[in-house]
Amino acid sequence: MDPKNPEKDRQYGGLGEVFAVPIGPIHPALKEPIRLTFHVRGERIVGVEIRTGFAHRGIEFMGMRQGRNLIQVLYLAERICGICSISHPIAFTQAVERAAGIEVPPRAQYIRVIISELERIHSHLLWAGVAAHELGFDTLLHLTWRVREKVLDILEELTGNRINYAIPIFGGVRRDITPEQYPKVWEMIRYYRGLLEQLLDAFLRDPTVEARTRGVGILEPKEAEELCAVGPTARASGLKKDVRQDRPYLAYPDFEVKAITPEDYGLTPMGDVFDKIVVRLLEVGQSLEIIEKALENMPEGEITSFPKIPALLAHLKKAEGEGLGWHEAPRGEVIHYVRLVSGEESPLVWKVKAPTYSNLLSWYPMFEDQEVADIPIIAACIDPCICCMDRVYLVRNGREETWTKEELLRLSWEKTRRMRRWRA
Amino acid sequence: MIFKTLVSQLLSRPATNRFPTKYMPRSVTKFLARVQAGQDEIHPPVPVPPKFRGKLGYDREKCIGCQLCIRVCPAKVIEFLAETKKIRIHVARCTFCAQCVDACPVNALSITPEFLLADTDRNSPHLIVQ
Amino acid sequence: MEGLGVFGQAVLVVFLGGVVGLFYRGLDRKIAARMQARVGPPLRQPFLDLGKLLVKETVIPKTAVAWLFSAAPFLALLASFTALLYLPLGPFGPVLEGHGDAILVLYLLAVPALAMALGGFASGSPLGVVGAQRELVMLMSYEFPLAVVLVAVAWRLSTFGLAPAFSLGTMAAHPLWASLGPLGVIGLAVLFVVLLVVTPAELAKIPFDIPEAETEIAGGLFAEYSGTYLALFYLADAVRTLVMAGLVVAIFVPYGIAGALGLSGAAAAAVDFFFWLFKVFFVMAAAVTTVRVGMARLKVDQIAQGFWLWGTAVALGGLLLLVLDKVVMG
Repeated sequence: MDPKNPEKDRQYGGLGEVFAVPIGPIHPALKEPIRLTFHVRGERIVGVEIRTGFAHRGIEFMGMRQGRNLIQVLYLAERICGICSISHPIAFTQAVERAAGIEVPPRAQYIRVIISELERIHSHLLWAGVAAHELGFDTLLHLTWRVREKVLDILEELTGNRINYAIPIFGGVRRDITPEQYPKVWEMIRYYRGLLEQLLDAFLRDPTVEARTRGVGILEPKEAEELCAVGPTARASGLKKDVRQDRPYLAYPDFEVKAITPEDYGLTPMGDVFDKIVVRLLEVGQSLEIIEKALENMPEGEITSFPKIPALLAHLKKAEGEGLGWHEAPRGEVIHYVRLVSGEESPLVWKVKAPTYSNLLSWYPMFEDQEVADIPIIAACIDPCICCMDRVYLVRNGREETWTKEELLRLSWEKTRRMRRWRA
Repeated sequence: MIFKTLVSQLLSRPATNRFPTKYMPRSVTKFLARVQAGQDEIHPPVPVPPKFRGKLGYDREKCIGCQLCIRVCPAKVIEFLAETKKIRIHVARCTFCAQCVDACPVNALSITPEFLLADTDRNSPHLIVQ
Repeated sequence: MEGLGVFGQAVLVVFLGGVVGLFYRGLDRKIAARMQARVGPPLRQPFLDLGKLLVKETVIPKTAVAWLFSAAPFLALLASFTALLYLPLGPFGPVLEGHGDAILVLYLLAVPALAMALGGFASGSPLGVVGAQRELVMLMSYEFPLAVVLVAVAWRLSTFGLAPAFSLGTMAAHPLWASLGPLGVIGLAVLFVVLLVVTPAELAKIPFDIPEAETEIAGGLFAEYSGTYLALFYLADAVRTLVMAGLVVAIFVPYGIAGALGLSGAAAAAVDFFFWLFKVFFVMAAAVTTVRVGMARLKVDQIAQGFWLWGTAVALGGLLLLVLDKVVMG
């Protein structure tokens, strides 16, 4: 689909005028600002243009150039997003730990895993409610968000706040999970296990929800592969991609996490919105199992290898090197790259790649040939976190283009060759 | 299926906590004035767990003026008072990360569970801790 | 009621219609909220909303067709109130009895929908245009089953020699349930269900609220309306709810209880009137409130297909059963 030539409409005859419907940046369907301009003929979408950049806050610039030390940058990273609020600190702390050569004790890794999985449950329940709201089914919104209160209460109990948990620190975690708190977590796991069947029933066996989501917003596996989709968006199309499985980190090697696809529910993956609901609800069940196993096998020991902050700050100031940190956020793979220079407190380079950045381009094939009524649910089905994504907005000669994986690889090879020539 | 849930929810108590009051009062400031005078009451919020990260508490006696809290604060909340070698905390800017609490070597800073901090003046006495 | 002239009765009915319509809207919101485990707004909220809208600034977009944009809300409200004057109100007959019949009511019910669509087209915004297109598609889809229901009941009444058959007053005075054989009772029940399904479509409520889909087109038809005009549409919606529910009650369950309680005179009229208000409330709670919290929103092609294929087939099936019943009964 060529967004610049919406009149070039291959499948439909030319009856009817094409006009532009702007959705966003402020719109009830969108939770965050992004502008989607749809060229529609009646109810059929014949073209879409995506314009991002409304939530760009210059966080990487603030981290690199305003004289912050790494502990202050950690809290900046945490506030890149509210829903994936532990994904960014976890990726960032791993990047810095790899760059500075800091070891993390096993108990801290387990605690990080537990909080990450709790965040995944919270994020998927939130998404389920938002998807129901986009479909006009407000009762499910209130139901899932009421149910989500339980995990938020547990997070508040363990970390001190419902969002922005401030748990990871370089070298470990800031708070321990004490044995008095274990029964509360077990009770939450039991509560959600009991509810999961009800939630699956309410979403997947409701005739109106099925009518609205089956066959809507299809992303073929080949398209998902080419457009580098990550997270549940890719897994719903049948691709078995999960960072916890492909490149295990933290304590995930002990859990042997497998990517969940609709096949785990007995369906053939179609890559539509229905499959995405299936994948996310099943992942809630998977997270509950991981948390249970983590609590059972929690190793003893310290929770951080740098209990004294001045020592940590001194070590970070001396550190030199680069590091990459990755994490399977609820939306997919998030990557932080950090380059530290000895003697400087701020990182020299800090680059964030949020999962929605990879998933954004899958909107083009999903919107093709759908109806205006499907716009909110398709927009919501990749679980867009625009504030995570708006790290950079490029315009080359005023044109907008779509580049696929081959193109991007070729560009990065060329750049590496250029850099080698400069150094030589 | 969904109708069973609807009926059971209709017949049970709503899940909403009625903080601060059940319906929006006609004038919020008059309502608050009545509460101050003891003629009306505010429904309490959902209780917070222990170790909830609310407003910072500061023990002036213990503070040694090392400025470690200022070094780690991500939001420039803490102001150093050079004459007395003590600090002043501007709660209006605080992100409640409690990193300063971890950093303080003499445990002069602590977190309290207080979170009802809305005010119209960022320098009002209950938003400055010193 | 007989003491006042027709004009006096009309004024009274219009005023009460507005008040009761808004009150019922408050009840609808409260019950919907409780079903979703929320507290919900206070019952007086629709009155507060109307009052607030009336004091707000009315903005007419520059790209709008100003006269049509301004006329549409008045048209919708006038048509809704006029429809109310043809409705039997429990023990009291319609105010304008003899000056129009069910066919006129059918048109009067369609006029607000048309007015809203015209307002949407005239609003000069792409969202309004999309909403108006959807409203017209939906209007064309549900009119046929609605017409079949009215025609079926009127025809059967006419076979009993009751005239004028198309008058709502006649339909309310002679409920058909007792006079039909078993086939006819099933047919009438089928038509009852069809009318209950058409009710949320007529009022543009979930699952049929696609013309003003909040999450898709930000209010669609009503996106550009504000202030007084939006207040008029709001009131028109409340009155239309009353009219549709009253229509269902008048055609299918017009029974009173005063006779069973052995009352007569003014007491009977009062009791029967409150019973009528209760029946109307119950129809609204079942067909509008419960349905709108229990389902997702359907797309316009699904609605159009649903009503044109299934709705029409089922309604015609009901009519066929009534015809067969007449043939069987001789």
